[in-house]
Amino acid sequence: MKSVRQHRLAAVPVALTLAVGLGSLAACGGEDTSKAGGATTNIAVSSTEDACTLSAEQAPAGQLMFAVKNDGSVATEFYLYDAAGEKVVAEVENIGPGLTRNLEVSVKAGTYTTACKPGMAGDGIRAPFIVVAASASPVTTG
Amino acid sequence: MFANFLIGLREGVEASLVVGILVAYLVRSGRRALVARIWAGVGIAIAVSLAFGALLTFGPNQLSFRAQEIIGGTLSLVAVGFVSWMILWMARAARSLRGELENRLEVAAAAGGMSLVLVAVVAVGREGLETALFLWAAAQASSSTTEPLIGAALGLAAAVIIGVSIYRGALHLDLGRFFAWTGGFLVIVAAGVLSYGIHDLQEADVLPGVSSLAFDVSNQIPPASWYGTLLKGTVNFTPATTWLQAIAWTLYTVPVLFVFIRTVRRPVRRPAGRARRPIPQEQLA
Repeated sequence: MKSVRQHRLAAVPVALTLAVGLGSLAACGGEDTSKAGGATTNIAVSSTEDACTLSAEQAPAGQLMFAVKNDGSVATEFYLYDAAGEKVVAEVENIGPGLTRNLEVSVKAGTYTTACKPGMAGDGIRAPFIVVAASASPVTTG
Repeated sequence: MFANFLIGLREGVEASLVVGILVAYLVRSGRRALVARIWAGVGIAIAVSLAFGALLTFGPNQLSFRAQEIIGGTLSLVAVGFVSWMILWMARAARSLRGELENRLEVAAAAGGMSLVLVAVVAVGREGLETALFLWAAAQASSSTTEPLIGAALGLAAAVIIGVSIYRGALHLDLGRFFAWTGGFLVIVAAGVLSYGIHDLQEADVLPGVSSLAFDVSNQIPPASWYGTLLKGTVNFTPATTWLQAIAWTLYTVPVLFVFIRTVRRPVRRPAGRARRPIPQEQLA
């Protein structure tokens, strides 16, 4: 029994390393939020088998929060691409039917492409998304 | 409910298989005491994932997409390292067992005890955060509908049942054969994890080429179908695979499988009398 106890103890440093590692990464991820300073713009997204409806097609630069709800019956994903629709700016996957998952992203002014991917495959249902320079709190673009 | 069931199954089945094989190995080689370590590792990985997922779901801060992909990608690459180590070590064990020199296995297990815990932690923790975020989202939705949470929980339960079945099956197999087959299977699993990790890092823009696809069979094998789910869950098959993924997969699978098969098949030299020596290092490569 003594040996089992020792083994349990041996696992503790492993856990701590994992926790600290994840924690520090979380802190890095969180920095993005505080850096933007301004308020977060909330955008609701509804994804079904044949539609990808956003509550707004335009938003001010800064922090955006897409609340992606799966109103369909197959699992879906939501992507924010660059204007060309090639480079992934941000993505949230594994949105099962009935679930809402949040995607928080810090964006500069410019044109982007949104995509819902019901069935989690293919190019998805795409649409342009415009981010305008925020007048109240100037955001450097480039 | 079925779609959420499939997500739960997919996220859980790989970890469940790896842990099932690990525990089967320890029990078969008479090192039941070490099983507690594996459970400690699994428990810690689950607890850390759930806690971290809750923090991100209910706390003020969200993890940026890039950070999450980098966590997933990096943990995957670490997992490949540990599982590869486990594979080559099983190959040696398989060979020793064909020679019925069970005491050699004891030597290997004594040296690898701590690493086994790490294999368990990484196997479960790799997809742990994404699974936790998915589960908490399902929990949040349960104020309006409990179907997603029930589906997800049933999917994870099914994954555990698959792991337990592998464990049970392993208890009845010839040991040498058990190591040879599970080791070979794990090569394919590890190669898939490598490919998955590379895709995460491509999406995070750490590695290039996310949109240059080697092939796309999403129409033939839809990711949301049950068979697409099982392929993805077990060997991490991505219907739309990038060139970098395909190249990394091949560069990993071919040499590792070659070394693995050679190690398993190499004849065991029976030393005169009772074999007490550990395996000489130069034979291990």
